[in-house]
Amino acid sequence: MDLENQKRVLEFSEQYGQENVVVLLGAAEGEAASLAAETVTLGDPTFAGPLAGVSLGLTVYHVVEPEVKEEFNADVYDEQCGMMEMVLDVDDICSEMNAIREQL
Amino acid sequence: MSNSVIKGTGYVLVHVPGMVMDHGTTQTTEKIVNPNSDYLKEIGSHMRSYEQVVNYAPNQTYIGNMSIEALTQLGQPWYEEGKEVKGERYGKFGEIMPEAEFLLLMQACDAFDLVRLEKGFVEAHKAELAADPVITEEIMALVKDGVDQSEIDHFVNDEHAESMTYEGKLVGYVKRAHDVDTNLSAHVMFENLVAKASGVLSILHLLRESGIDPLDVEYVVDCCEEACGDMNQRGGGNFAKAEAEIAGLKNATGSDARGFCAGPSHAMVEAAALVKSGAYKNVVVVGGGCTAKLGMNGKDHVKKGLPVLEDVLGGFAILVSENDGVNPEINLEVLGRHTVGTSSAPQGVIQALVMDPLQANGMSLMDVDKFSPELQNPDVLKPAGAGDVTEANNKMIAALGVKLGMIPKTEMKTFMEQHGLTGYAPTQGHIPSGVPYLGFARQSILEGTTKNAMIIGKGSLFLGRMTNLFDGVSFLVQKNTGKEEAVVGAAKTVTIGLAAEGTELGEENLKQAVALAAKKGVKVVIMEGGHAEMEAKLASGEIDGAVAAHYPFPIGVSTVGRVVTPAYGKEMFIANTTGTSDTDRVAAMVKNTVAGIIAAKACGVENPTVGIANVDGAKATEKYLKKLAEGGYKVNFTESSRADGGAVMRGNDLLKGTPDIMVMDSLTGNLMMKMFGAYTTGGSYEASGFGYGPGLGEGFNNLVLIVSRASGAPVIANACAYAAELINNGWNKIAAKEYAAANKAGLAEIVAEIKAANVKAAPAAGAAKVVAPAKETVTFGILGIEVMDIEDAATALWAEGIYAESGMGCTGPVVLVSDANGAKATEILKAKGFIS
Amino acid sequence: MAILDGKKVIIIGDRDGIPGPAIAACAESAGAEVIFSSTECFV
Repeated sequence: MDLENQKRVLEFSEQYGQENVVVLLGAAEGEAASLAAETVTLGDPTFAGPLAGVSLGLTVYHVVEPEVKEEFNADVYDEQCGMMEMVLDVDDICSEMNAIREQL
Repeated sequence: MSNSVIKGTGYVLVHVPGMVMDHGTTQTTEKIVNPNSDYLKEIGSHMRSYEQVVNYAPNQTYIGNMSIEALTQLGQPWYEEGKEVKGERYGKFGEIMPEAEFLLLMQACDAFDLVRLEKGFVEAHKAELAADPVITEEIMALVKDGVDQSEIDHFVNDEHAESMTYEGKLVGYVKRAHDVDTNLSAHVMFENLVAKASGVLSILHLLRESGIDPLDVEYVVDCCEEACGDMNQRGGGNFAKAEAEIAGLKNATGSDARGFCAGPSHAMVEAAALVKSGAYKNVVVVGGGCTAKLGMNGKDHVKKGLPVLEDVLGGFAILVSENDGVNPEINLEVLGRHTVGTSSAPQGVIQALVMDPLQANGMSLMDVDKFSPELQNPDVLKPAGAGDVTEANNKMIAALGVKLGMIPKTEMKTFMEQHGLTGYAPTQGHIPSGVPYLGFARQSILEGTTKNAMIIGKGSLFLGRMTNLFDGVSFLVQKNTGKEEAVVGAAKTVTIGLAAEGTELGEENLKQAVALAAKKGVKVVIMEGGHAEMEAKLASGEIDGAVAAHYPFPIGVSTVGRVVTPAYGKEMFIANTTGTSDTDRVAAMVKNTVAGIIAAKACGVENPTVGIANVDGAKATEKYLKKLAEGGYKVNFTESSRADGGAVMRGNDLLKGTPDIMVMDSLTGNLMMKMFGAYTTGGSYEASGFGYGPGLGEGFNNLVLIVSRASGAPVIANACAYAAELINNGWNKIAAKEYAAANKAGLAEIVAEIKAANVKAAPAAGAAKVVAPAKETVTFGILGIEVMDIEDAATALWAEGIYAESGMGCTGPVVLVSDANGAKATEILKAKGFIS
Repeated sequence: MAILDGKKVIIIGDRDGIPGPAIAACAESAGAEVIFSSTECFV
């Protein structure tokens, strides 16, 4: 994850408390989603940014995952993400995300 | 005006492993934050040799030696062992230059004595550069003699100079151009010289490939991703002219265009417009490479045991010239654009860049042979978790096609295979964005294997932190329509079929009409076989349009008449006059407005004014048209000539021709046509005007204009001239464009709303009866309410506790309230939709 | 319990996946407050 974004994630979780912050991802692939999810939970696996060695344990979902999707307004979701559901490998993204959550 | 053409293309790669280490931001950042990382230790062993880079299939495709089809068939990933091809340095479109020669070319491009190379290095490689067929003697003359190694060491170690390395050895430097100014720092100068040198190399290959005399190039647009300037103007410019100077384009000036990865597409559209406008005959669009992105995804490549694939700079140059009747044209009518108001959701982006321009031109996805979106090499991005960007784009286009019902979902894959491309371009930001395909597109269109291609550029503007917006533009490249296209603008002779069976004025009247039309330069043929013959000849193209009496149009198609108003002899369009554009009166009048605008525009009225005749439904029509206008469809309302103004026209406005288009229901319109046509003759002979006009409706592409059985020869002749005018001005394209614009602004939704409102207007059973509040003196009049709604409007105010009375004022229905309640009541009626 | 309603949301969108503003629109529709939205770009 971009270093500036890591810095912001760290600052916001300190400011609002880890339990109040949720991270939503839009990555194009399961692997990239998994990497970002790992960064905001267990810490930056590339050891490049401010989250290296910092386990924030934030709640994190990819925007196409059913758990969050059911909370969105259906029309808004369809307009913003509906087409991309046909483009992205949603199953792969969900299983990669679940794999990270299982490690928590 | 004639379209511009693509007369040549140049594509180059430069293998620069030394720059990957010293100038790629992933590596330079790592050196700062994690100087002892495993990545920095390992990356050296993951660099490819020049031979490996030349034999890498996607690189051979980029310079034109291997077709995209052959590359696709080879199968990804192409970095795998056994997938090497027998590559060559030079290709149809350009070359893959080795690093040593490029360092010399950078020096040749240095105008400020900033670049110095070591003596022995210059001696060893000078002849190699000179052997490159596109490098001229003038350029070789700019290569300076080398300096001692100690000077290089000194500048790099003590004077903030940037290092130039070759095979791991320091062989030169780029020093800063100012001691304090960060915009002239050694780092910035290095990046800019790389962009300039690779841009120059691209232009040189373009000159070779196109055969154009360098002195004939008049303008250069540079679209690389760097900025040159000093501390007083960071992006002052300009690369274009600096590159033109080295490339020997003595008669050219130029400027820089930027737009992140969309930059090249913007530059192409600008170049095409410059040529089409006649400002310049030959314009070169050029984009050099970018050092910062070298090895950008290197960490992932090293982690997965792959070579660092981002080890080449990319560059390209395209020649856009005036139409030669041969080369593929750039069609600026099919121009996609991501506007400030466009959503940044992927489907909003694809809608704006792909669907909107096609729909506005009456085209479907299937009408485009190849879509060329971002052509990033998937070998580079897949291991980094960014997926196959080209394939994702192909999928997005297909998926939106499915969502819009253009393609069945089961056909998505076939569509992608037939209309999509495979990515192969180096991930140099702007370089892969649509334009790499122009070389192959030009070739296959010239050969006749492809008829057209849509080039789609997209850019991440938000990375500049000036806006959160996304960006993109697209355009269509198509087969040259030949010399014919070059004379567009001169009206061609059109043939109109006349099928006036059942006329009450006799054969002689028709013959007179034909003769009168001939005088106006319109050839008219009488359809002895009536409507059947007319339809057959319209279908075969034997006639370009027709004038008919009594022709039955389907529901949804209705005619726009054209009259001469008596007060000042001004022409006015009556929308509409026969047929039914919608079974709902108000919906029909809304649609009639669009039809009226089409007819007026197709008769050369650029921005026609609209007024609504004061008939039943006028106010509601005005309300919904304003909604359509808010949605983005331009309705240019005019004001009544009467003292109280407004978009609703009185009888006086009919006689004066106040608006260009007078909107009304078609029964009233029909009556008006007869009044305007025959009021001077006593009634049985329509002597003036242009008749009832063309049948217009979405998707209706036959041009049939209506006259009546009482239309005299002058009217029939005028109707034929009206038809010819519509044809010469491309009425069907204008119609497609207007319907697309109206639909985008929500026409269908508005029509649905009108119909739903009709249902709602019926009083709901069991609705609570509203009791009138205490009576008070009412002197404040609220105008503009439909007569049918006047009682409901008063009741609605009662429900809000405001006493109101309804009545008929001298200018129409009125609801009266007390002066004190005037403003509030007006607000309520507005909110409830009684007034607009 | 809702995941998003009433929560502070940080968005890391992707130019070639779902970009930040699109996710923000969804999150807001679920009653979350977007405190940061960014879009990453691999190209």
